Amino acid sequence: MSITVEKQADLKDPQEALYRPLLCKMVSVKELTPTEKLFRLERLDGRPFGHRPGQFVQVSIPGIGEAPISVSSSPSRGSYLELGVRRTGVLTGALHEMIQPGDVIGFRGPFGTYFDVDAMKGRDLILISGGCGLAPMRALIQYIEDHRDQYGKVTILYGAKSPIDILYKDELAQWVTSTQLNCQYTVDDVPEGTCWDANVGLITQLIPPLDIDPARSLAVIVGPPIMYRFVLQELKKKNLPINQIIVSLERYMKCGVGKCGHCTIEHLYCCMDGPVFWLNDVINLAGAL
Amino acid sequence: MKAYDETDLALSFQALGADYDVRVPILLSDGTRSLGRLEEGKMALAGGKLGAKPTSVFFPQMDLVFQQKGTNVRMQAPPSKPLMVVGLTAQDADCLAFLDRFFSTNFKDDLYRQKRMNSAVVVLSGKCGRDGEMLRLSSGNCDLELVFDGDRYLALAHSQTGKAMAEKMKGGLETDEISLGRLQRESKALPDDELKLLQRASSLLLDNKVPEDFWVDISNRCIACTACNLACPTCNCFDVFDWKCGDSCVNRYRLWDSCQLDGFMREASGHNPMGTEALRTRRRIHHKLAADVIRWGQMGCFLCGRCDEVCPTGIGIKAVSREMVEKYG
Amino acid sequence: MKRVLTTCTYCGVGCGFYLVSNDEGQLVGVEASREHPVAQGQLCVKGWNAFQFVQHPDRLKQPLIRRNGQLSPAFWDESMKTIAGRLKEIQRKHGNDSIAFFASAKTSNEENYLMMKLARAVFKTNNVDHCARLCHASTVVGLAQMFGSGAMTNSISCVEQADCILVIGSNTTEQHPLIGSRIVKAVRKGAKLIVADNRKIRLARLAGLHIRHRNGTDVALLNSMMNVIIREGLENKEFIADRTEKYEEFRKVVEKYPPEKGASICGVTAEEIVQAARIYAQAKNAMIVYSMGITQHTHGVDNVRSCGNLAMLTGNYGRPGVGVNPLRGQNNVQGACDMGALPNVFSGYQAVTDAAIRQKFEKAWGVEGLPDTPGLAVTTALDAAAEGKLKALYIMGENPMMSDPDQNHVRKALENLEFLAVQDIFETPTTQLAHVVLPATSWAEKDGTFTSTERRVQRIRTAIEPVGESRPDWRILCDVAMLAGYGGMKYDSPKEILDEVASVTPSYGGITFERIGQFGLQWPCPNKEHAGTPILHVGKFTRGKGVFAAVDYRPSVELPDDEYPYVLSTGRIYFHYHTGTMTRRSKLLDREERFPFVEVNENDARRLKIRDRQWVCVSTRRGEVKAQARVADVVPPGVLFMPFHFEEGAANVLTINALDPEAKIPEFKVCAAAIRSTP
Ligand SMILES: Cc1cc2nc3c(=O)[nH]c(=O)nc-3n(C[C@H](O)[C@H](O)[C@H](O)COP(=O)(O)OP(=O)(O)OC[C@H]3O[C@@H](n4cnc5c(N)ncnc54)[C@H](O)[C@@H]3O)c2cc1C
Ligand code: SF4
Ligand code: SF4
Ligand code: SF4
Ligand code: FES
Repeated sequence: MSITVEKQADLKDPQEALYRPLLCKMVSVKELTPTEKLFRLERLDGRPFGHRPGQFVQVSIPGIGEAPISVSSSPSRGSYLELGVRRTGVLTGALHEMIQPGDVIGFRGPFGTYFDVDAMKGRDLILISGGCGLAPMRALIQYIEDHRDQYGKVTILYGAKSPIDILYKDELAQWVTSTQLNCQYTVDDVPEGTCWDANVGLITQLIPPLDIDPARSLAVIVGPPIMYRFVLQELKKKNLPINQIIVSLERYMKCGVGKCGHCTIEHLYCCMDGPVFWLNDVINLAGAL
Repeated sequence: MKAYDETDLALSFQALGADYDVRVPILLSDGTRSLGRLEEGKMALAGGKLGAKPTSVFFPQMDLVFQQKGTNVRMQAPPSKPLMVVGLTAQDADCLAFLDRFFSTNFKDDLYRQKRMNSAVVVLSGKCGRDGEMLRLSSGNCDLELVFDGDRYLALAHSQTGKAMAEKMKGGLETDEISLGRLQRESKALPDDELKLLQRASSLLLDNKVPEDFWVDISNRCIACTACNLACPTCNCFDVFDWKCGDSCVNRYRLWDSCQLDGFMREASGHNPMGTEALRTRRRIHHKLAADVIRWGQMGCFLCGRCDEVCPTGIGIKAVSREMVEKYG
Repeated sequence: MKRVLTTCTYCGVGCGFYLVSNDEGQLVGVEASREHPVAQGQLCVKGWNAFQFVQHPDRLKQPLIRRNGQLSPAFWDESMKTIAGRLKEIQRKHGNDSIAFFASAKTSNEENYLMMKLARAVFKTNNVDHCARLCHASTVVGLAQMFGSGAMTNSISCVEQADCILVIGSNTTEQHPLIGSRIVKAVRKGAKLIVADNRKIRLARLAGLHIRHRNGTDVALLNSMMNVIIREGLENKEFIADRTEKYEEFRKVVEKYPPEKGASICGVTAEEIVQAARIYAQAKNAMIVYSMGITQHTHGVDNVRSCGNLAMLTGNYGRPGVGVNPLRGQNNVQGACDMGALPNVFSGYQAVTDAAIRQKFEKAWGVEGLPDTPGLAVTTALDAAAEGKLKALYIMGENPMMSDPDQNHVRKALENLEFLAVQDIFETPTTQLAHVVLPATSWAEKDGTFTSTERRVQRIRTAIEPVGESRPDWRILCDVAMLAGYGGMKYDSPKEILDEVASVTPSYGGITFERIGQFGLQWPCPNKEHAGTPILHVGKFTRGKGVFAAVDYRPSVELPDDEYPYVLSTGRIYFHYHTGTMTRRSKLLDREERFPFVEVNENDARRLKIRDRQWVCVSTRRGEVKAQARVADVVPPGVLFMPFHFEEGAANVLTINALDPEAKIPEFKVCAAAIRSTP
């Protein structure tokens, strides 16, 4: 049950438009953590982006370049696009430093596969994310909140490095208190002198206590490369079959459309065949996880 | 069918210059043969495959993607005249077909296709290899084929474009098809041991029979010059970068990249899924011989022979396949 | 589309290739020359990307003059008059030797020749030098004394004919890739490879024997090897008797270095030394390949001599597959030396102290009173500037702020000058200190010749129009000479300049643009009928007999102690070139290594709790820089290695300005350092 690649509506004439950035306006910028900011974009022509949770856009700043950034908001919340961006280098640095609300920047996309919300219907969902992985996961969580009656039990697990690295703190608090969701989070480490009364330890510790019905559950995992192996071990112990696990993988990307070759995993292109994969499609590929 | 000598061909190509931007093999100053315009050097049809990959006409080492001035983005304009490329070998034509398929499947690469669309491709085959060596005849995946019988070039049109071109050609003698038949037989009789070797290596890889140690050993000999990728007509990887071209003017370019470089896949976090030389060397071979088979149903190598020639340490795809088959069957 | 055959601007291997430009005159690629004798259709990653930086938007496009402390755009006229005027004025005020000229191993032979002519004929000073001081000064001094010629004895094609290759102090596959690749191929064909280098370089992985001797103990290592060779009677007695002198003195010194002693100095086993000696001495054709690991020491000349001794002791001279082969770093460092951009010689290593030679040049140049005492070297000129003795400096295409030891010292020296003029293609930390900056053309925009490490004089050719208002260095130099009142430097083209070089330089006597043709000519080439010389010292050494040199081991100047417990060694990496001005503006090369880094041994890193790619601080008595840690087993415990390409983490803030007494080369390869993780 592989997800097919859908080309974006705007590329009706791909002969002309494959690498052309379209323009959008930075509507607002909000600080999430000292190294992460949330950017809200709207298209200049006012049309929707046509994004789905799990996809990404190529953000383009002339003179700086492009970088793939996951869509962090659900289309069910509006036609805007939100991006949660960690400052790591040239382009993300420019986004953080130079771009102000009102500025016009470029984007291409959205590209890539998305979380198969149809396949999730009627299932219990275990949504596991680490670090920056909460960015795309947030889009999915928002979508599920907005279509809550279509899904079974929803469990959200999130791990951050330390209390100050926690993303989307306000929403996280809402998810935790929501009666519709079971949300737990943890931090790897608490620096001395920090007040903290929640979980401490790796995200893997949150899995064993869960009551998972392997027959009706589906897990989604998004996080840094080293997280996958350990989380998968725990899920295996819960007897969750690999064709009920969805992962989102990241690779260094340049084109986003399966041409530049940077994102390949054996015969797959992470930008086009991914970033969202069913685990059974990639688990045996060298270097995938 | 008609047979042409070099003078006829030069005149014909000149005539076709009315419709096309014609590139033919020419002699550069030190004797290297390369694709150029007729006025740029002496035409040199015979001599076998060209050193540089001929697909670079459609996918150059560095290419402008667009120019952005303020919010105005101007994509690279298509060529004013369609391109006509003479001098591919039959293997090169196979490579080009593979690249066409790659750039036209799923998302279509407009930068490539606007150069490739309406272009004309002429294959040289027959006894025009180095020192008269016999070159394989094409499988018909080109517009026109010029088959050298040792004396003249027999013109074979494989497409409508090719037929139109043939009609505009100058001179030439009407000949029967006897010598073509002879050349076709000779071409079929050419040894195919290299292809067998490659197929053997391909199945070893698909069956997971090549251990990591093998790649460590080969990669110890790789100096990461990237030539195997740059010379390969089916390699398509590129990087993208921006250059300022004045106040609020930016050019975005793409540039051939190479999977043999550590930075090719290194992520912002420093994490690198292809972070060892052995993994990268494996990828170079595995991608062509196994991954492409899974994705495209065919190998991505058509034995054009370039990577084995340009690799300074002798680990092109044939050499590696040979070592692999010797070691693991 | 245009394809122009030229010679690589990066390393001294001297690969030929075509620069490809499109119809708009923009460079868009590199195409290999399949016929070129060295390249043979192959190149390294720098060669394949050599077109990239040429039209980079950062290129200097117009002259700059310092006004009110700021460098601001100026006209050529004004800038040239300022340079000539200021130099003349300073010469009048402070004397001829108050001015120094730095030529450049990046520019052509013709331009280096003109720079030395400008210094000597126009300003009457021997204060002319270039960065060979920093790389192979030891070679030029050492080998010239022993054999009469300070260059690679053999040709690159000889590598694959060797039965044994001793690589000492050269990371060949990274710094001279297309020589390195030949070593790889030679090994595959059965040649025995000995690598003496304490870093685990690529060749070490292929070597039959890898000796990881302590930095700076090469003399002890080589003396011990020779001790074994003599003890076991493996020396070539006939060769020693027929072709060499001073053997006895040498033997007596070597006697003091039994392998056990060498082993304890070098930190290796005596067994390794014995083995190396046997493998090398028993090979039919044994070749030594060395580079800056040998030369950049306060005992650099002694290191070079030891290499020369070893090859003489075993008779490995004057035939294919043998010899002592210093690999010259820069594309034209050989040529810049050949052209006499050195303080003690005219072109072709003709001594300034020789009255007859001076007379010859006075006649040729139409001047009188050429200076007769050797001038200041790059290193000593900067010392003199710091002391206020040197008043003006004219730099063509060098970046001493980044390339010379002890950056703070260099800054002080340059700031101390009354006048500094710099010609370059990019803004650099050095141009930032200049009073006048002139935009020069790159190698792709001019004609001329480069001389590769195998003494091959080859052409570079104009591939594109000059960027902005930039002008070729040779034209600039001619104009300065004219404005300074000298009429003997008027040329229409570099071809004419090379003709003049040939007329005054015996080893280049037969070298002209026409004869160089597509593939070059290897000097010595004394006359127009001579076919060039691929192998030196055939039958007899250039100077007659080869002289053995008796050398003792001397430790490096600054050794580790409690405060600075690590040995810091500096050098280059594959993807970058020198001070990075070009490679860091080439997309792929820059992407490969974007940050200054320091190699740390994994055991040291574990103890210091330093993770791979973590930012650390490296400090020495001279200063402190930040760099990313590269944790691996490339360097042995106790050793750090840092490349010097990065402005933002300049290794030469750390290095020590200690010089070899004879060659004046700095000790880039050993100083004491400390490392800690950054908060
Ligand atoms: C599908 C996908 C979704 C993503 N979603 C998000 C998201 O939602 N939020 C988010 O913050 N990030 C996301 N990322 C990661 C983001 O794309 C990278 O952080 C971004 O590309 C960095 O670009 P940059 O220009 O800022 O950094 P760069 O300047 O490219 O480099 C950043 C740092 O990474 C290193 N580096 C990166 N590339 C290289 C290289 N080639 N060579 C050497 N060093 C290199 C350097 O250490 C540097 O400090 C996503 C990535 C993918 C593939
Ligand atoms: S022989 Fe080498 S260069 Fe040619 S198609 Fe195969 S892999 Fe590419
Ligand atoms: S051509 Fe050879 S040496 Fe160069 S990158 Fe490819 S395999 Fe490595
Ligand atoms: S080996 Fe040296 S000369 Fe040859 S391409 Fe590389 S840098 Fe240039
Ligand atoms: S990002 Fe270019 S192929 Fe996937």
